[in-house]
Amino acid sequence: MLQCIFLLSDSGEVMLEKQLTGHRVDRSICAWFWDHVISQGDSLKSMPVIASPTHYLFQIVREGITFLACTQVEMPPLMAIEFLCRVADVLSGYLGGLNEDLVKDNFVIVYELLDEMIDNGFPLTTEPNILREMIAPPNIVSKMLSVVTGNSSNMSDTLPGATASCVPWRTTDVKYANNEVYVDLVEEMDAIINRCITILIYTYNFTSSVDTLKRDWDSTILRFSLLHALLRDGVLVKCEIYGEVQVNSLLSGLPDLTLSFANPSILDDVRFHPCVRFRPWESHQILSFVPPDGQFKLMSYRVKKLKSTPIYVKPQLTSNDGTCRISVMVGIRNDPGKTIDSITLQFQLPPCVLSADLTANHGAVDILSNKMCSWSIGRIPKDKAPSLTGTMVLETGLERLHVFPTFQLGFRIMGIALSGLQIDKLDLKNVPSRLYKGFRALTRGGEYEVRS
Amino acid sequence: MAPPAQSQRSASPSQPSGKGEVSDLKSQLRQLAGSRAPGVDDSKRELFKKVISYMTIGVDVSSVFGEMVMCSATSDIVLKKMCYLYVGNYAKVNPDLALLTINFLQRDCKDEDPIIRGLALRSLCSLRVTNLVEYLVGPLGSGLKDNNSYVRMVAVIGVLKLYHISASTCIDADFPLTLKHLMLNDPDTQVVANCLSALQEIWSSEASTSEEASREREALLSKPIVYHLLNRIKEFSEWAQCLLLELVAKYVPSDSNDIFDIMNLLEDRLQHANGAVVLATVKVFLHLTLSMTDVHQQVYERIKAPLLTLVSSGSPEQSYAVLSHLHLLVMRAPFIFASDYKHFYCQYNEPSYVKKLKLEMLTAVANESNTYEIVTELCEYAANVDITIARESIRAVGKIALQQYDVNAIVDRLLQFLEMEKDYVTAEALVLVKDLLRKYPQWSHDCIAVVGSISTQNVQEPKAKAALIWMLGEYSQDMHDAPYILESLIENWDEEHSAEVRLQLLTAVMKCFFKRPPETQNALGAALAAGLADFHQDVHDRALFYYRLLQYNVSVAENVVNPPKQAVSVFADTQSSEIKDRIFDEFNSLSVVYQKNRSNSLVVGFIFTDTDKYLQPSYMFTDKEHRGPFEFSDELGNVSIGAESADNVVPANRVEANDKDLLLSTSEKDESRGPTHNGSAYSAPLYDSSSASISAANSLSELAISNPTSAGNASSSSLAIDDLLGLGLPATPAAAPSPAPAPLPPPLKLNPKAVLDPGTFQKKWRQLGISLSQEFSMSPQGVAALTTPQALLKHMQGHSIHCIASGGQSPNFKLFFFAQKAEESSNYLVECVINTSSAKAQIKIKADDQSTSQAFSDIFQSALSKFTVS
Repeated sequence: MLQCIFLLSDSGEVMLEKQLTGHRVDRSICAWFWDHVISQGDSLKSMPVIASPTHYLFQIVREGITFLACTQVEMPPLMAIEFLCRVADVLSGYLGGLNEDLVKDNFVIVYELLDEMIDNGFPLTTEPNILREMIAPPNIVSKMLSVVTGNSSNMSDTLPGATASCVPWRTTDVKYANNEVYVDLVEEMDAIINRCITILIYTYNFTSSVDTLKRDWDSTILRFSLLHALLRDGVLVKCEIYGEVQVNSLLSGLPDLTLSFANPSILDDVRFHPCVRFRPWESHQILSFVPPDGQFKLMSYRVKKLKSTPIYVKPQLTSNDGTCRISVMVGIRNDPGKTIDSITLQFQLPPCVLSADLTANHGAVDILSNKMCSWSIGRIPKDKAPSLTGTMVLETGLERLHVFPTFQLGFRIMGIALSGLQIDKLDLKNVPSRLYKGFRALTRGGEYEVRS
Repeated sequence: MAPPAQSQRSASPSQPSGKGEVSDLKSQLRQLAGSRAPGVDDSKRELFKKVISYMTIGVDVSSVFGEMVMCSATSDIVLKKMCYLYVGNYAKVNPDLALLTINFLQRDCKDEDPIIRGLALRSLCSLRVTNLVEYLVGPLGSGLKDNNSYVRMVAVIGVLKLYHISASTCIDADFPLTLKHLMLNDPDTQVVANCLSALQEIWSSEASTSEEASREREALLSKPIVYHLLNRIKEFSEWAQCLLLELVAKYVPSDSNDIFDIMNLLEDRLQHANGAVVLATVKVFLHLTLSMTDVHQQVYERIKAPLLTLVSSGSPEQSYAVLSHLHLLVMRAPFIFASDYKHFYCQYNEPSYVKKLKLEMLTAVANESNTYEIVTELCEYAANVDITIARESIRAVGKIALQQYDVNAIVDRLLQFLEMEKDYVTAEALVLVKDLLRKYPQWSHDCIAVVGSISTQNVQEPKAKAALIWMLGEYSQDMHDAPYILESLIENWDEEHSAEVRLQLLTAVMKCFFKRPPETQNALGAALAAGLADFHQDVHDRALFYYRLLQYNVSVAENVVNPPKQAVSVFADTQSSEIKDRIFDEFNSLSVVYQKNRSNSLVVGFIFTDTDKYLQPSYMFTDKEHRGPFEFSDELGNVSIGAESADNVVPANRVEANDKDLLLSTSEKDESRGPTHNGSAYSAPLYDSSSASISAANSLSELAISNPTSAGNASSSSLAIDDLLGLGLPATPAAAPSPAPAPLPPPLKLNPKAVLDPGTFQKKWRQLGISLSQEFSMSPQGVAALTTPQALLKHMQGHSIHCIASGGQSPNFKLFFFAQKAEESSNYLVECVINTSSAKAQIKIKADDQSTSQAFSDIFQSALSKFTVS
């Protein structure tokens, strides 16, 4: 059970304090924590669970805001972390984002939310739909309303119906004139592609002594032939898809939906929203559920061991005499049949690079102050392959580049789920008079990295 | 209504900036209090917001308490909420004012809007003022019977809050029985869940005094209740499910049907979107099947996919917590993730704490079938921009090499590292090649060829340099240049700052001498001369020892320094299965993730004890800081002992007293373990005594102490394992120990070389009563110097007061000292708590001879007052 929750700004200032139990946690713990973070150099580097002299601390950082929870008793660690993540999600949903000003401007709402989400250190409900019924979000509509009607309470007058209904995630009484339901497949592709062995081997050959060369002759030859294969194509070390089925349900009454896929067997592991019934999935891989009202995540899944990626990235780095020439080509490998847009390539220049002069034949190149280099390509033009070239000046005394950047690729493909997952049909028991069903698919680059 | 007269009293002088505005607010609030004008609620709301925002930034606004209460007579629910929040925050410090609020809260408890009833009841119970409990019983009783579930839910938790304020009131009102009835009959699952959590807490803490309560606690784990709750688990909120699953994990099933029933019922919980539910379910599954070996294996298969999904789909913080558990699982069943090793490949963007755990996982899952791929992947990280990760991954390659039988490819990789021309890569690789050679001497030929080509100029890190020198000595017969390289190193003796390297140099040149005497004789002479003149105690001792040994008999010397060695077959894998089991019992608890980084470098640490550990922030007994490879296991063991007992008493075993008590409780846990750990303890007095036994002159030993973070003692003892095996302690040279000049204020004289082992200290600390307890201020200079306890330890030692344990971090330090009278073995034990932010030190003295404790306290204080930045 948690004893206290603090929200800290990115300068370590306590923005909000919520004591949860009779044991009062002194604010000085935040000072201790902040010193600890500073001593680690970076809040992203310090661990999520820290033992301070007096308390165990859980922390997550979202958009520069640290959510800090304290406890002195044993508890499941993931529960605390998961709860903090939910708090962050709920707040960002309520405030339309998350930053210091938003929290400070709306701290009364934040207090109200925390009050309903956790009592006496034990989480109660974190379901956004239920919370929304108890505490109205501070949106423009409600502000307008309050000006017009003079009733400025942001509290709904009714009790959340869900607490009384037998389906805890849904209110009993929902009415829509137009019944609509939208299903989105949103996928993220995570991949690691290697292509750096070239340089290593050349180094190896020129510097090693004659006997090592002899000893390794066979394996070297083997590697050279391997090398040619590598130069043509990177090695796909790992490629998988993390996907979500997002549903926006605007349906009256207590709708009972079934959703089936054309090829459910490709899914490796699935996780469901509490509304999904387990048995139909076990026996026929059918999702049968009574949806919450509004937007929610119906299920998430993984598809492992994909064999191909839509885009290739071919970096080449050659260095001599303290400079390094870099050339990166990007192009379509396997055309998914839909337009690939918002292509970006990011990489961190190694710390030993003093300056870099990079140009691209398509799109814009930016080098940020922290040596992060970002190349926004957009769509790949029909007439040429986008390429980025330039030279990097290394630190004095350094002949060659030893640390190689990792390229992170971002992209977006509308209209297709790269895993190949297809929705077969969506059925409704007791079909209402006017019903509109919509389906969409989208694939994004997730942790998609190409090593040079 | 007049404002309370004492309202100015508590305006804190440290926040003068808010004071004017606070009194401004006060008068504005008072104006609004009686007003019935339209729109008054809006202006009230603005003011309330201001008050709360002051409260949030830490300005004391308790002075407007009366006005806030007066303004709270409103139907606006947001106003009410703000007021409740305010009242909840200040009631505990202003019990008299809290009485003012009782009235309106009680009235709100009877409001027709259930939300207001609920909120008022929650605030009423959150006042936590002892003398107001009588006002709680009535509203709570009707709250429990309320026909709205929201109010009942609040009332149930209210009962628990009441219990913590006044247990007897709660028991007398028969609330626990009401809760039990509600738990079994209420239609709302959140009410049921709250009842469960409240009852667990209440009955656990009652169990020690009341037999009935302990029977009730047992009954919670009985089959009917567990099944009753389990059958409704799908209606529970995700967090309530966690709670219930925790309960089920403690349930002892009657037979295998029972087990399968529960598992079938919970099967789909593994697919829940909430990671905490999944992990709690995994725990239930593992515990239920502990006695059924084959089902247990099936369970591993079943839980694999959900756990891996949790790792790859959650936020980094969630991944971290899950990975810690996977690491635990993989220790018991290394095969389960063997084919899923790719899940543990590091992504570029991940924070380094996740990467580190993933590296550990990769090391743990490596087996014959996947080693090649894993090592290839690890080699990628060696070129990583993040240098710490690059180092860790090289170490991981080394660990895998030491686990595997087929190291062919790995040795190749390590040798490639040596040629990467990055100093830290070379350094790490050298250390690993050395370990590898100790296990697989058959690779020496290949390795030595590459190692020979490394210039000692390019190796700066002491560990790596020591490793290189060790290889030069050990394989000097195969390395053409060895004597000459050693010779050039010896010429630069004075520039070599690391004692570890100098020690190795002495040993290496000895070994080289036995293999190639004519070429090495000069170098050996130079090394021994330099060593004898060395200011470092251990280097000096070893040089002297070698010198005498050579004088005595060269062939004996060879037997001692360079005996035929057997390959090390297993590097200390110290985690006994018993300890693993104990950690395993703690699955899904804090002890799994807590301070995980301590398990790093288990293998390497055995040979060259990781001296960095000294520098880590410590907050427990210092002797725990340095227990070599055993520390991880011991510590987790310890935590799990503590946690087990906490488990029996269920979560409510809270430390209600002030914050410092947690420190004490950890140290007491430590005491209870007493003499199980000794020997390798790193505490100042022990350090003193052990080095004194080898030392030539006491004054020199002082020098050694003055540099406790250098590798000195640790490496010498580990080297002793390596080179001086079977020799025991070398004979002490004849130099007479001369007592170090210590300032000894009359009349009480302290023994500067007092010795007390931690076990005795703990025993005495328990036996003796406190003879003196004082609080005094420290000088600002002293406070400024006290950034780590170590600085103070050295200082106090100069005053013959020795530290046995220290801990804490700025601003709170806690130290345990002891001292002995000069003439007799009468001890003084001191617990000293220093708060640097208030510059206060608090000491508790326990003494064998209580009459002199005041005199000792004076010495102690004067010593402490002289502590400044050195």
